[in-house]
Amino acid sequence: MENNYPFSEESINSSISFRSLVNATSYPGRHFQISKLKKPNILSNAAATILITLCDNESNVYLSKDFSTDEVKDWLIFNTGAIVSDKQNADFAVGDWESLLPLDEFKTGVPEYPERSATLIIEESNYKKIKCNINGPGIKDKLQIELPNPELFINNSHLYPLGLDFYFTNDLDILSIPRSTKISVTNSEY
Amino acid sequence: MNDMSKDKNIDIQIYNFAYLDENTKRMIRRALLKALCIPGYQVPFSSREMPMPYGWGTGGIQVTSACLIPKDVLKVIDQGADDTTNAVSIRKFFQKTANVAVTEKTSDASLIQTRHRIPETKLKEQQILVYQVPIPEPLRFLEPRETETRKMHALSEYGLMFVKLYEDIAKHGHIETAYAYPVKTNGNYVTDPSPIPKFDNPKMNNNPAIQLFGAGREQRIYAIPPYTNVKSLDFEDYPFEAMKANFKCSICGSSDSYLDEIIVSDDGKRSYICSDTDYCKEQTQLNSKEEDQ
Repeated sequence: MENNYPFSEESINSSISFRSLVNATSYPGRHFQISKLKKPNILSNAAATILITLCDNESNVYLSKDFSTDEVKDWLIFNTGAIVSDKQNADFAVGDWESLLPLDEFKTGVPEYPERSATLIIEESNYKKIKCNINGPGIKDKLQIELPNPELFINNSHLYPLGLDFYFTNDLDILSIPRSTKISVTNSEY
Repeated sequence: MNDMSKDKNIDIQIYNFAYLDENTKRMIRRALLKALCIPGYQVPFSSREMPMPYGWGTGGIQVTSACLIPKDVLKVIDQGADDTTNAVSIRKFFQKTANVAVTEKTSDASLIQTRHRIPETKLKEQQILVYQVPIPEPLRFLEPRETETRKMHALSEYGLMFVKLYEDIAKHGHIETAYAYPVKTNGNYVTDPSPIPKFDNPKMNNNPAIQLFGAGREQRIYAIPPYTNVKSLDFEDYPFEAMKANFKCSICGSSDSYLDEIIVSDDGKRSYICSDTDYCKEQTQLNSKEEDQ
């Protein structure tokens, strides 16, 4: 019988998904692939995978504008027990770039507990992409990637060891920019 | 992906894959990812009781359980050896609960759980090294209060640690600490490398593999991502020195691997052998090949 759970085989699929997340977080700026799962249409496979793999009844999830639909909420709450929350309390936030701004409403942790900070899942959309160099933990020498509003990521890395951690999701593709990544803009026009 | 689990289903019906339940894994997985985002910072987690006593790797085994995938090839070492009780038991545990392949070869392993050593063979990208950690807090023996050590980390107030190292020099003329030698991770947090010999400390720096640390009894998880700066604490005039017994392995003849001292006769005659059994085997094979030629 066909089931409607996001993962066809929960413990196996979640372990494989998590391993992709470990790799993505360990090697910032590199693309990693995850597999398809059953999820609401508006969510990408990658964003849905992060939520299903990590969220439970202790997780506050902020769904921005377009993503705050009954379908997404029902799916999330039924499958994870997560709490749909506001920006200020969010442990995870999902949305396209514009709808997640301004970033300073998200929690960045406190000096004694820097891990009490939000993880932002940014869905692919038509934001202005600017070429940046990144280096830091997980990056051999340096990498070139494209980011929206690099100045916000630079500000975020200045908060280190506090700060936000980012995942960029696009269909099956996932790329991470944790707070430890240092960003510089390559093009002087910016 | 479904087929993978159908092929390998011997004990998976009895246990959830890799023993821990999904809710526990989610909690550990969130801690692991935050740990990777904040290199060297100890993330608290609600450690579970495991079917083995504290001090036998309950932290490491929980981290391994949360990371393991069906196609992993697992290696477990205890003080560098694949064939000691602790290593054998943990390897069997995951063979039974996750039905993963196992190996003794460092280069074939995708995930290595270790107690007190880093393999001599260089690690590769996307390999995971899971350390078993008894006391994750490097400042604990200097300041017993968790509230205080937490503040010290928040303020990067590590004077006490340097005083300790300085006192060593004042008393003994050199830094006495020979294992669990404190490091600074990514220029920020002072971190306990677990009780590895300080000979292994330089291997942590800029390593292409993913290094994860689990302390079960103390309920802490921390991580050193790949290509991260890890510096052993020292003074300009007393620089850090990796150290090993100045002998050759009496089995493979290697002079650059970390050695264990063993007593070989009733009158106390000593001999030295590689602590990394896989490396020793490899060197022995290389030697015999050269002799054949």
